[in-house]
Amino acid sequence: MFEYKDFLIETDKFALNIGPSHPATHGVLRVLVQLDGETVINAEPIIGYLHTGMEKFAEFRTYHQAETITDRMDYVSGASNNLGYILAVEKLCGVKAPKRAEYVRVILAEFTRISSHLVWLATHAVDLGALTEFLYCFRERELILDIIETVTGARMTPSFYRVGGLAMDVHKDFFDKTRSFIKIFPDKIAEYEALLTKNKIWLERTKNLGIISAEDAINFALTGPSLRGSGIKYDVRKANPYSRYEDFDFEIPTGETGDVYDRYLVRMEEMRQSLKIISQAIENVPEGEYLSYDEYPEYVIPPKKRALTTMEGMISLFKYGMEGIKPPKGEVYVSIENPRGELGFYMVSDGSAFPYRMRVRPPSFCNISALNKMAKGYLVADLIAIMGSVDILLGEVDR
Amino acid sequence: MNSDNMDVMFALTVIKESMSKSIIVSDAINGDVHIQIKKEDLLEFAVFLKTDSRLEFDMLSDLFAVDYPKKTERIEVIYNFYSIKNNFRVFIKAASKADETEYPSLTSVYNSADWFEREVYDMFGLKFKNHPDLKRILNPDDWDGHPLLKDYPLRKRPEPEEIKMDAPGYIELEKI
Repeated sequence: MFEYKDFLIETDKFALNIGPSHPATHGVLRVLVQLDGETVINAEPIIGYLHTGMEKFAEFRTYHQAETITDRMDYVSGASNNLGYILAVEKLCGVKAPKRAEYVRVILAEFTRISSHLVWLATHAVDLGALTEFLYCFRERELILDIIETVTGARMTPSFYRVGGLAMDVHKDFFDKTRSFIKIFPDKIAEYEALLTKNKIWLERTKNLGIISAEDAINFALTGPSLRGSGIKYDVRKANPYSRYEDFDFEIPTGETGDVYDRYLVRMEEMRQSLKIISQAIENVPEGEYLSYDEYPEYVIPPKKRALTTMEGMISLFKYGMEGIKPPKGEVYVSIENPRGELGFYMVSDGSAFPYRMRVRPPSFCNISALNKMAKGYLVADLIAIMGSVDILLGEVDR
Repeated sequence: MNSDNMDVMFALTVIKESMSKSIIVSDAINGDVHIQIKKEDLLEFAVFLKTDSRLEFDMLSDLFAVDYPKKTERIEVIYNFYSIKNNFRVFIKAASKADETEYPSLTSVYNSADWFEREVYDMFGLKFKNHPDLKRILNPDDWDGHPLLKDYPLRKRPEPEEIKMDAPGYIELEKI
């Protein structure tokens, strides 16, 4: 006679290939997943499909030309990447930007953080089946991109900063548009949260998933919301303030368990804090020069008006255009808080007009390397949620 | 960009006290502390940095290399250690000659070293001893050369004879 075990289907481990071209991987990430039934045993991210050799490219560009490479790395937060790069070059030259320029930089960087988090929230929610969220988020993101376009002339890849300041003075519409945005945005965040934060489906799909302990998170060099979700209060803006972040009053939100839901809450609160910084900065943008040309004529481009009306201005503008700036020999490291984590630039200069070596410390690269640790033991459907919660951007992972 | 320069100096003194035998030279410019050490002592050094109670460098924030073709010790690997608790950052450098490119792997101490070391292997061709899975990460597995070396040209294309005619999916036009 038959026994019970004869009716059982034989099971075996098998490999599932997600990506490189799959909507849930947010780019061209490939994840090789080993499965036992539906449970993930091993998830190995395979990267490099978007590798364009940006570090190599930068060695063949002048310092100002190389800036345009940096905003193509993390292409949804261009202004923030530019800030890290330009601060590194400024440190190399020993230049300090005027206060007006620094405040405008802070405002642009924080706007970029909000818009980047909106893209994250939109796509993360779509991955888990909440389509309405996507339309809401992109509606407000358009407003932010419009403001960035008003100032810089470009929506996603501004390259608006120059060594020692900004490319031009801010547009007069900038202040009004920003103020009206500050007025409407808190209600919009409440709108996003009304759909998700206490939604039972959302809670079941995100709570107690992809847990990474604080120790592991540090050991994998996670930074940004992925680290803060695990309860570590580390934010470069507070730890090593740059570009006058010490002037502003803001909080660093942290999670407790380090699961997908905590990372979600941290990012939602970060948007509020960014708005707080913007509202403080926009009311205190001082009048005055936007380039510190008078203090450092060797390294700083003259403001356009002076370049076209004075002899010295014209000569130095021509010189910068033809030769580029030549920082002294040396090595510097500057890190900033990108929407995804700590973005560092290690610049080596040999005294010529080209960077000898530009090393980018990419936050997404480290964050995705911990995917296996986070996803082990969960279901395939949860793997998608975990991948979304880490918030990677393949342009930056692969550079 | 270290706001508190004194702290880093304290860290440098502690490191100098305990590990003076492996330090070649150290300096502090612009608030960044750079320490040049012998590459054989790297693993011991990393364990010391992580476990010493005064330092607690718990994060290997970055690991990369710089190529100096004109120097005898051609390739310099730079380790960026950070302590979240104390807010210290030090850069440990270890140089090697072009023909002695084997480094001890730090994967047993820091998990983040895994991918960073693979990237350095991919871009510079350095070998890391005891790395669990040392293979290319950004370039394809069958890629020729190491792109970030200074003698690698910016625009390199494979020669026509190097293109493999028997690759899967390759169809000659006449046969269609």
